[in-house]
Amino acid sequence: MAHGPAATALAAADWDPYIAREGNFFDALFRRLRPECDALIAQYEESRSALLPMAHLFQEHEGYLSQNAIVAIAFLLGLTPAVVESTVSFYTLFFRKPVGKYMLSVCRNLSCIINGAEEIMTYFRDSLGIGHLETTADGVFSYEEAECLAACDQAPCMQVNLEFVYKLTKPDIDAMLAAMRAGTYAVAPLVQTAPPERTWKVAQDTGRKSAGGRGVTDPNNAGGIGDKSGVIMLDRLMADPAFAARSRERVLHEKNLGPTNGDAGH
Amino acid sequence: MYREQGGYAQLERAFKELTPKDVADICMGSNLRGRGGAGFPTGRKWSFLPNNGHPRYLVCNCDEAEPGTFKDHMLLEQTPHAIIEGILIGAYAVGCHHAFIYIRGEFKAGFAIFRAAVEAARAAGYVGKNLFGTGFDLELTVHRGAGAYICGEETGLLNSLEGKRGEPRLKPPFPAVKGLYGEPTVVNNVETLAYLPHILRNGAEWFAKVGPERSPGYKVVSISGHVKNPGNYEVPLGTTIRQLIWDCAGGLRDGRTLLGVQPGGGSSACLFEEHLDLPYDFESISKAGSMLGSGAMVVFDDTTNFVKAAHALIRFYAHESCGQCTPCREGGNWLEKTLVRILEGRGLHSDVDMLVSASHQLTGLNLCPLGDSIEPFLASVVKRFEAQFRAYIREPKAAPVAV
Ligand SMILES: Cc1cc2nc3c(=O)[nH]c(=O)nc-3n(C[C@H](O)[C@H](O)[C@H](O)COP(=O)(O)O)c2cc1C
Ligand code: SF4
Ligand code: FES
Repeated sequence: MAHGPAATALAAADWDPYIAREGNFFDALFRRLRPECDALIAQYEESRSALLPMAHLFQEHEGYLSQNAIVAIAFLLGLTPAVVESTVSFYTLFFRKPVGKYMLSVCRNLSCIINGAEEIMTYFRDSLGIGHLETTADGVFSYEEAECLAACDQAPCMQVNLEFVYKLTKPDIDAMLAAMRAGTYAVAPLVQTAPPERTWKVAQDTGRKSAGGRGVTDPNNAGGIGDKSGVIMLDRLMADPAFAARSRERVLHEKNLGPTNGDAGH
Repeated sequence: MYREQGGYAQLERAFKELTPKDVADICMGSNLRGRGGAGFPTGRKWSFLPNNGHPRYLVCNCDEAEPGTFKDHMLLEQTPHAIIEGILIGAYAVGCHHAFIYIRGEFKAGFAIFRAAVEAARAAGYVGKNLFGTGFDLELTVHRGAGAYICGEETGLLNSLEGKRGEPRLKPPFPAVKGLYGEPTVVNNVETLAYLPHILRNGAEWFAKVGPERSPGYKVVSISGHVKNPGNYEVPLGTTIRQLIWDCAGGLRDGRTLLGVQPGGGSSACLFEEHLDLPYDFESISKAGSMLGSGAMVVFDDTTNFVKAAHALIRFYAHESCGQCTPCREGGNWLEKTLVRILEGRGLHSDVDMLVSASHQLTGLNLCPLGDSIEPFLASVVKRFEAQFRAYIREPKAAPVAV
C-alpha cells in the first residue's frame, strides 16, 4: 500500500524541538499537569473516578497516552500501571500509540450507511491511501470508521478531532483534506510529540475486546470462569437438527467455490 | 437568558416551598417514564432507594450512542441549563448531595458547553453549599466518557464513572440499592430529567393527561434515514408513526415508497407499512413486536439494501460488546462474519436461515440487554426481505462433490 517502511516517516530529529522544549517528562509535563490532576481527583468521593478525566488530560498534552502518562496516572491514583492500562484499553478514544494530526472518524452506522456513507468511506480510503485504523506515512492523517455519532439527521457525517462535520460530499472532502495538508483547516490539529506508526491500535483485531474471563475483576462480574451461558448456547445449537446439515453443506460449498482470496471474516 | 424564560424558577420553588417528598409525588403522579430506553416509571425508580442513612447519588446518563438517537446530543448543546435544572430538582427529590452527569466522550463541544453552564449555575447560586438558604448542599460533577456504547448501560456507566472498564454488573443488586461506590444510586436519562422543571411548573396532571394513560407525556423523537426533513421532533406520545414521518419529517423523498421503520433505536425490531397507523407509545409499539426504546426512528424507503443495513447494525453490536458474556461476544462476531460472507458472495442459502436461528440462540443468555439487542432488527428484516438476502447467494459452478 501507500505506506512505506519507517524510513518515510518523520525523522527522529523532527521531534527534537519538543524534547528540547519539554525536557524530561516527569520534570516538565507531569509537574505542569499535577495541579490539574489533583483538582480532578478532588471532584470525586473515590480517587479512581478521576482515571478517565486524567487520561483525557494527558492525551490532550501528549497527543496519545504514553507509557509515562500511564505510570503517572497510576502513581497519582495509587494503582498499578497494569490496572490503568487495562482500563484505558477498554475505551476507543484513548490512543496508546501516537496518531496523525487529524483523526478522521467517519460514521459507518445505520442512518449514515443508508445515506451514502459507504461511498464516502471508499472516497476517504482512496484519497488517503490508507484503511480503517491507519495513519498516513507523513503523519498528518489518521482514519477510522466510527459507530453512530448521534448526528444521524446530518448523515453522512464524521468527526475531525471530535469536532462534527455534517452532510459530507466528495468536494467537501477534497477541500477538507487540502486545507489540512496546508495547515489551514478550521479545527486545530492534535498535539504530536512522537512520530505515529502505521496504526495506533495495540492489537489490529479490534473485533474482540476481551476474551471471556479476562475482563472479570470481581465475583459479581459474571461471564468469566465457570460461566455457563456459552455452553447453553452450544447445547441449543446442537439440539437444532439443521445445524449438522449446515456444517456439512458449508464444507462442500467452500470446496466448490474453489480458492478465494483471504478469510471470510475480517 | 434561560432565567428570563422562567428557568430555575421551579428549582427555587422546589427548594423553598416543596419537600423532597412533594417533588417525588409530583413525578410519580405525572407517570413520567424513563426516556433512556427501558421506559421505567421514574417516580417508581426513585421510590426503590432504601432508607438506610447511606449517601445517595443521582447520575444523569448522557452517553447517547444508540444508533439513530441524537436527542440528548441536541439537548446538551442547546439547552444545558434545562438539563442542569432537571438534575438539581431530581437530586433534591431523592435527597442526593452529589449528582453526576456522564457525557459521551465524543461530545467534546457539548462537554465544554455543559461545563461552562454548570459554572454559570454555580455563580448564580444554584450549585454548591446551602442552596437558597435551606442548608441543602448539592454538588454537580461533569464527567466525560471515552468512547464505549456499553457505558450507556446503567451499571456499565457506574463502573466507568468509578474509573473502571465499563463492563455491566450483574443485577440484582440494582443501582438503587448498590450503585455508585456501592451506595444507593438513581440513573436517569437526560431527557427524563429535563422534563422535571416543566412537570413542576405545569403540574403532574398536565403531563399525565397528554397521550395514552400508561405512557403519557411528551417525547423527543429523533427521525433520520430516508425522510425529507430528518431531525428531532417533540410530540405527545400516542402520535401515529404516519404523522411522525409525514407531518413532522416531511415524508419520504419524492417518488419513493416506504419499506420499513425502525421505531426505537438500533435495538428495536423493524416495523412495516401495516404498522404506520400505530400510536407511537411504549405499549402499542411493544405490542407490535418492537419497542419504543430511546425514541429514535430510522425510516427506510425502497432504495434500502437491508443486507447492508443489518450488517451495519450487527457490526456495531459485535464491536461494542464488552466481552463478558460468551453468547454476546462470540455470537455477535459470528453473525457479523456470516453477513460479510453473504455480502462477499460466498454465502449459502442456509446461512440466511442461520442468521435467524443463531441470533435467536444467543438471546436471553446475557448479562445486559446489549446481547439481546442483536436479534430483533436482524430477524425482522431477514423474515420480511428474505429475497434481498437470497439475492446475494451465488450458485456454485460445479456440482457438489460428495464427501
Ligand atoms: C447497551 C445499552 C446502552 C444504553 N445506552 C443508554 C444511553 O446512551 N443513554 C441512556 O439514557 N440510557 C441508555 N441505556 C439505558 C440505561 O441502562 C438506563 O435504563 C437509563 O439510563 C435509565 O434512565 P431512564 O429511567 O431515565 O430512562 C442503555 C442501556 C443499554 C443496555
Ligand atoms: S451482554 Fe454483551 S455487552 Fe452486555 S455484559 Fe454481556 S458481553 Fe457485555
Ligand atoms: S448513524 Fe451516523 S451519526 Fe448516527
